[in-house]
Amino acid sequence: MDIITVFQCEDSLDGILTGVYEAWDSRLGHGAVRLETAAEANLELFCAYRQVKTDLEKAEKVLRTVRKRMGEEGEEAVCYAAACRDSRRADAIYRMIVLGLHLIDGREAVNCLQNENVSLVMKLRMKAWHEAHQLMGFLRFEELENGVLYGRIEPDCAALPLLAPHFADRYRQENWVIHDVGRQQLALHRTGKPWVLAEAGDLDASYLERRSPREEEFCRLWKSFCGTIAIEERRNPRCQRSLLPLHFRRYMTEFQ
Amino acid sequence: MQQVWIPESLSLMEKLNILSDAAKYDVACTSSGVDRGNNGRGMGNAISPGICHSFSADGRCISLLKILFTNECIYNCRYCLNRASNDVPRATFTPGEVCDLVMGFYRRNYIEGLFLSSGILKNPNYTMELLYQTLYKLRTEYHFGGYIHVKAIPGADGRLIEKTGFLADRMSVNLELPTAEGLKLLAPNKSRTRILTPMRQVQNRMEENRGEVALYRHAPKFVPAGQSTQMIIGATPENDFQIVSVAQALYRKFQLKRVFYSAFVRVNEDSLLPALPGGPPLLREHRLYQADWLMRFYGFEGEELLSEDRPNFNVLLDPKCDWALRHLEQFPVEINRAEYRMLLRVPGLGVRSAQRIIRARRMGSLDFPDLKRMGVVLKRALYFITCGGKTMYPIRLEEDYITRNLLNVKERLPLGLGQDVTYRQLSLFDDMQLPLGEGQGQRPA
Repeated sequence: MDIITVFQCEDSLDGILTGVYEAWDSRLGHGAVRLETAAEANLELFCAYRQVKTDLEKAEKVLRTVRKRMGEEGEEAVCYAAACRDSRRADAIYRMIVLGLHLIDGREAVNCLQNENVSLVMKLRMKAWHEAHQLMGFLRFEELENGVLYGRIEPDCAALPLLAPHFADRYRQENWVIHDVGRQQLALHRTGKPWVLAEAGDLDASYLERRSPREEEFCRLWKSFCGTIAIEERRNPRCQRSLLPLHFRRYMTEFQ
Repeated sequence: MQQVWIPESLSLMEKLNILSDAAKYDVACTSSGVDRGNNGRGMGNAISPGICHSFSADGRCISLLKILFTNECIYNCRYCLNRASNDVPRATFTPGEVCDLVMGFYRRNYIEGLFLSSGILKNPNYTMELLYQTLYKLRTEYHFGGYIHVKAIPGADGRLIEKTGFLADRMSVNLELPTAEGLKLLAPNKSRTRILTPMRQVQNRMEENRGEVALYRHAPKFVPAGQSTQMIIGATPENDFQIVSVAQALYRKFQLKRVFYSAFVRVNEDSLLPALPGGPPLLREHRLYQADWLMRFYGFEGEELLSEDRPNFNVLLDPKCDWALRHLEQFPVEINRAEYRMLLRVPGLGVRSAQRIIRARRMGSLDFPDLKRMGVVLKRALYFITCGGKTMYPIRLEEDYITRNLLNVKERLPLGLGQDVTYRQLSLFDDMQLPLGEGQGQRPA
């Protein structure tokens, strides 16, 4: 039995892309390598494990190649799929990139839905896109004492980098912070500047507690609006729940 | 008009309560159809799929701050909560108050923009002028770049409507009721011609504007997200065929983006309004929306779905299944070869699935497991398709057989609608003879 070399990479887009680089660069042959995200602890027999150290430069190289050969759609598929939690995604992304670089027109790779790796990547892409799109609507900002807008999310996918560009355009003149509570990450934006990703470790909790004086008034207005806008004769909480699942409601003003 | 108007006595909260409550029967809350980046000075952008910001207890999307400017009204439409003869609390916003609310809400990401409608205060021109001033203030003083949907008031001056259209993303004129007779009966102050005039004007101006924008890239855009309308279903005795024909005419002749249907809710006691013991006709509304989608995205004509002889939708089957069962001669469809427009006609295949199939089959032939993996739902489709000449299971292409099986597939009605239709156990003796192709008289209540 042939030994399979498993590349264990960090659980992030850059980690996975570095893994793709290393696996390809190892010249072991695509059949003899596999990618895993480090989160899985179960080791298998007849496998050699290699730890992949995330290297932004290598990741950027891979992404650039993907963009060039597989088009924007291919790049987007890779980035969105990598944001999901699915354990099979690292390997599926690798296989899809291998396929894309072997096709005459790499942009067709996203269309090969017969291929189970491609169809998995595309399914995950859809899932991450959908969650990010939902959060574009369901995210709520609160105004802090100093006028900064502060919003919290707790998404399943790593949606923060997918969301931030949207809000950076929408609130270009505002200072805002989006806090991914689960991952302890922040997206920060200053008036007129590009947004940046940061760790939330040293965020001062008491600073976040102080709301601006008008905050409560708008909260009350909004809650009452959400109440009156519903038509009693059409009441349908099940429908509401399927369109706006409960886990989103934790940070939504109108459900508090 | 002897109406007392004391805006000072009401707080913003009270006004918002009154005027959002009065606006809730307006259906459209979509924020779709326009892509626009930040204007560089203020707040806001728009993306073409639109964004839902919340869902209310009735399961409808909250995307826009949906309010009336005023619920004072000189008209006395019988179906309307705000008719002149009703004794309800009245309120009127000022343009400044509306702007404050919109900016405050938008900034907290509560909403995608503003939906502004209004009762008729004094006269149509006066009202339209107020709506215009509000939009003007919002766009030029507050530099608001989000979505705005505004009603064009029938009977208002054409120049006012035009000016307003340059500030809004979407405009709509309510058709109110499907036919002119219905309108005469229930809304004596409104007439079909008065409603269609501004609709035509907006359509013509949009067309002109397309030319302007093609010539000068920065020419101001007139109603870039298009025009929509809505009508009340079930307040007057029209059948589904009439309603679908009206909608089709609106799409063709007025190039509307959307027609909305709203199940009639009886808010007034009035001898001319129908009593609805079973609540609003939600299933009927649902079937109309399904047909509407078939006309807009699936290439169906209204006459294919319904006709003079079968003027109402089948209660038990959705319009596409119903159509397919009456046209079994066109099936089965071969997944690997069929044209896109034929794929769209297969029950169970939607636009997304059909597009995936078209894209994937260029790269190699497709089999049933491939379809499943791609996320194509086969529950209904499997009776109508072949892959490589084979059906998924040995099935018979017979109307009775397929109908029976399709009825076992529980249709995903919008949750909560399920109670209206009961799928009873089929009985061999009763149901095999049942002419299911025709759904007349089976509508609940």
